[in-house]
Amino acid sequence: MTEKKRLAIVVSENSLDKAMMPMILGTTGASLDAEVHLFFTFWGLFLLKKDYKPKLKGMMAPFTGMMVKQMKSKNIPGYSELLEQARELGVKLYACSTSMEIMGVKKEDLIDGVEVLGATAFLKIAFESDVTLFI
Amino acid sequence: MEAKKELNAVGLSCPMPIIKTRKAIEELGSGEILLVLADDPGAKEDFPAWCEQTGNELLKMEEEAGVIKFYIKKK
Repeated sequence: MTEKKRLAIVVSENSLDKAMMPMILGTTGASLDAEVHLFFTFWGLFLLKKDYKPKLKGMMAPFTGMMVKQMKSKNIPGYSELLEQARELGVKLYACSTSMEIMGVKKEDLIDGVEVLGATAFLKIAFESDVTLFI
Repeated sequence: MEAKKELNAVGLSCPMPIIKTRKAIEELGSGEILLVLADDPGAKEDFPAWCEQTGNELLKMEEEAGVIKFYIKKK
């Protein structure tokens, strides 16, 4: 058995594809007994808003429904289901305090259990992590 | 091999089989065996990796008509 790992991920986008990646890696990481920290910044912050449904962006936007359908047919859980799983598994969710000001997002707009963090506090976590990813 | 609990993850895609396995093993006592059935294309690599990382022991892995059975002994 290998020792317990720590995983820190910066989530910077809110498109459906970029929303799924941290959720899949985060829930898998927690299932591997790792301590998982997700830091939501800039557009990524929107993913923590209550009842938020991410869509594909730009030229791919019209294909959102198609992708959701394809995921469903392959029994891949949707974004909100994975977010729920992540919370159940104890994945830590952080909202970037500066992004909240820039994007005009308030603490009460966010789902429960989100902690507001500054860059320093997150970097402290990242310094002590085994794996850091940027999405 | 007597499994205390069986988890049917057939038809589920990554990451659900591993998430469900993680939750299922929590309900077992140390030394008890969990049987997981999965057919996700990544399962053959994912389950041994999960066991190695979490310290639970993969006792046996057998494939039958595209479904893989994993016998996992809780640490």
